[in-house]
Amino acid sequence: MKSIQTTTFDVMVIGGGIAGLQTALDIACQDYSVAVVEKGASIGGKMIRLSKVFPTLDCASCITTPKMAAAAHNDNITLFTCCDVKSIKRERTLSTQNISNSISPQNNNTQRNRFVLKAVVTQRARYVDADKCIGCRKCEYECPVLVSDVEQGGFSARKAISIPFSNAIPQIAVLDADNCMLCGKCEKICPTHAINYFQESYDFVIQANSIVLATGYEMTSLSDKPQYGMGKIPNVIDALQMERLLAPHGPYNRVLRPSDGKEPDSIAYIQCAGSRDRSMGVPYCSRFCCMYAIKQAMLLSGSLPLAEIRIYYMDIRAFGKGYEQFYQNAKAMGIEFVKAKVARVDAGEDGSVTLQYEDQNGYGMVTMNHDLVVASMGVISAWSPKGICNVSQGLDNFIHTINSKLSPTLTDMEGVFVAGAAAGPKDIVDTITEAGSAAIEVSKYLRYLYGKERGLKPVSTISSLKAVA
Amino acid sequence: MVEENIQQHKKTDELSKNLDKKADAMKALRKSCKNRIDRVAEIVREQKRALKAIRAQLANSPSTIPEIAASTDMPTDIVLWYVAAMKKYGQIAEKEKDDGYYRYSLQGESHVID
Repeated sequence: MKSIQTTTFDVMVIGGGIAGLQTALDIACQDYSVAVVEKGASIGGKMIRLSKVFPTLDCASCITTPKMAAAAHNDNITLFTCCDVKSIKRERTLSTQNISNSISPQNNNTQRNRFVLKAVVTQRARYVDADKCIGCRKCEYECPVLVSDVEQGGFSARKAISIPFSNAIPQIAVLDADNCMLCGKCEKICPTHAINYFQESYDFVIQANSIVLATGYEMTSLSDKPQYGMGKIPNVIDALQMERLLAPHGPYNRVLRPSDGKEPDSIAYIQCAGSRDRSMGVPYCSRFCCMYAIKQAMLLSGSLPLAEIRIYYMDIRAFGKGYEQFYQNAKAMGIEFVKAKVARVDAGEDGSVTLQYEDQNGYGMVTMNHDLVVASMGVISAWSPKGICNVSQGLDNFIHTINSKLSPTLTDMEGVFVAGAAAGPKDIVDTITEAGSAAIEVSKYLRYLYGKERGLKPVSTISSLKAVA
Repeated sequence: MVEENIQQHKKTDELSKNLDKKADAMKALRKSCKNRIDRVAEIVREQKRALKAIRAQLANSPSTIPEIAASTDMPTDIVLWYVAAMKKYGQIAEKEKDDGYYRYSLQGESHVID
């Protein structure tokens, strides 16, 4: 039987998106060692795939890339990509662990009986030796197989072996085994002999004193919505696909209709296309759809000045700092806001999309044609702790927080915290704020844990916070 | 000197043995993945046909997506997908706009997709 390797850190952060990275950076700068475990081949999460952020319209990549680089170059942070967490258990252990923080006990080599969190992590095979790959992309250029590129909303292609995207971290190629025909071209061209067709997935253990769940969100699928064509109507796309069309390094480097490459003259947004909708199993508001739809509409109005842009909405929820002004600016720019819930979407003539809605100003049922329709889908939890650890979920399937008003990052499993959209739909501003909060809670917890070992009175304890809750 | 030669021969022998072992292992791997390899190979053949047809049209004159689709008898969305990929790997360049559609033309030797 193979022995499973164990690596020890002060903290393990699950998820390498903006929440996970900010949490990891804030913890690492307090001199704790952090492991960031990411399921994808690159860190950066959803944010690195966005075009710009609201309400400042700053470039999303310009904010995320420095944080990704900072995490990659931080001596206290270790990145694990292409990894899945199989289980997390709280175990009593006899440890001689060396505690890295300055408040740790002087006599830190003595054996202690304490609880630690042990996570079994599966490292999926990349079929590329991560230590040898230099990210030259020669394998990618040489590979003859084109595969639909999910990173570009499926609008373009990548190769069966590729670097996930241009500013991915780490810059290590990944071979898509399902679409590889083992032609050997990548292996022949690789200057560092990094290709390994025989690489296998393996499990290892990360032992940490605290874990932060920063697992983010996913969008509901258009295919779940029969009224909107179940994703089969050409030129009906979701908001994340529109982000790629708007991004400067997007699939077409401009906004074009995916069905035929025409520059759209009329673009519509359908708000609450997958949220506030019991038929989709998402009765709650996804919080940031209104703002990203307004942001995208403003960006579209900049790149396609002659296009007619319309947002069909139930309510505009512009709740954050500067958000209402952003909404008013959009209206002043000529973006049309129509208070209506779109009832039906059908394929129109010549690639157009026909919407049917009931006008709230008394015009009854109205039919309208658009060249391109963007559905603001619902936000759902990206990760379930079921079968992995004993953290509870709320009714909405996001991670349940035990003290959402005072300490929104506390979960009901001691030593496990949550940050960002893993606990519920959240915009980037709130996510970064909450990531900082999670880092401080972790720091407090570690001080309590390490202080207790030295016989010190804790600053605050989880049980006291639970009592408040 | 003789000692050095012996060592060199030993190393070469070991290397060729390893290469033989690897070739055998690759053969076994290809055999075990035959169904997948056949499926992907068929996709690649189809992709090569499509790319060749698109290149042939663009060699005649810069064309829009509907023009390429008409000449290659392929759906416009599929043509756009290939064109986006060819543009990404530097094979084609975007030209002027013509009645709502951009024209694309072949670009010099670059990262090949065929």
